[in-house]
Amino acid sequence: MAPSVLIVDDALFMRMMIKDILSKDGFEVVGEAENGVEAVKKYADLHPDLVTMDIVMPEMDGIEAVRNIIKIDPGARVLMCSAMGQQLLVVEALEAGAKDFIIKPFQPAKVVEAVRKALTSEQD
Amino acid sequence: MTSMPGAGRLTPLQIDALGEAGNIGAGNAAIALSLMVSKKVELSTPKASLIPLAGVPDLVGGPEAAVAGIYLEVQGDCSGSILLLLEEESALILASLMVPAESGEAGLTVVKRSALQETGSILSAAYLSALGQLTGLFFKPSVPGFAMDMAGAILDHVLADLAASEDHVLVVETDFIVSGVKIMGHLVLFPDLGTLDTILEHLGVPFD
Repeated sequence: MAPSVLIVDDALFMRMMIKDILSKDGFEVVGEAENGVEAVKKYADLHPDLVTMDIVMPEMDGIEAVRNIIKIDPGARVLMCSAMGQQLLVVEALEAGAKDFIIKPFQPAKVVEAVRKALTSEQD
Repeated sequence: MTSMPGAGRLTPLQIDALGEAGNIGAGNAAIALSLMVSKKVELSTPKASLIPLAGVPDLVGGPEAAVAGIYLEVQGDCSGSILLLLEEESALILASLMVPAESGEAGLTVVKRSALQETGSILSAAYLSALGQLTGLFFKPSVPGFAMDMAGAILDHVLADLAASEDHVLVVETDFIVSGVKIMGHLVLFPDLGTLDTILEHLGVPFD
């Protein structure tokens, strides 16, 4: 069965881009969310194998969303999507329980590689 | 303000230091843009300058010129706001390059607006990243806002959101060439009071 993915990004364009990259590589995108609050809700409903998570979003940012998702499921696999120069935020996200990060804008091959790596990482 | 006696009179060394941040930032931005449009992006030499607030609309042909503006706030070690101004034609070309499937449709679709908004966000991050590398300061950008309007109206909107900013803004003008088409961009940094002092100090060229 294809691994299921929840895509979280406030930008419709980025959600489309990630969905396109992952769908072409055989992943099943089971849901999308445009802020942290929606992401946590959808994670609880869908329990995807992996979440791609933007950091800077309205309502609730990606770091807070990771904290909340990890509370629901300590084994959750979350891959952060960060713009350049946000190293400190990435560190915070990794401390919150994210598995890895990719830098925007994306190179499709790197996205797929990071997703595969996160999916094979040990669950906490 | 008292700590900014030289706001409009930067020394050549200070202009050079800010210009270098602009150069590296624009280089980062070109790489980012190239990934977003999946095409080679060439870059003109960016020009950094400090201009009076009122002069911002003139960058794009005056207050009534139609432009796309992407605006975000910056927090962190120092604060301010960033406005990326793209002339309307450049914005529409860029949007069509990023969302080619819809290139036949006139005007801005929801997806194209989102693509431009994200471009502003990523280009701002590229510049802030360069400024962060050179100064050791940390900048955290907010969620970007987007508007397609007259330059004067966009500037009014930005000014209404500013609490206490300097009366001068830092402008990095860069032209990108994608597939032979020139895209003119103006990245405008509105430093909050004290921010420019902090940046210049960390670049090693403080005000006297």
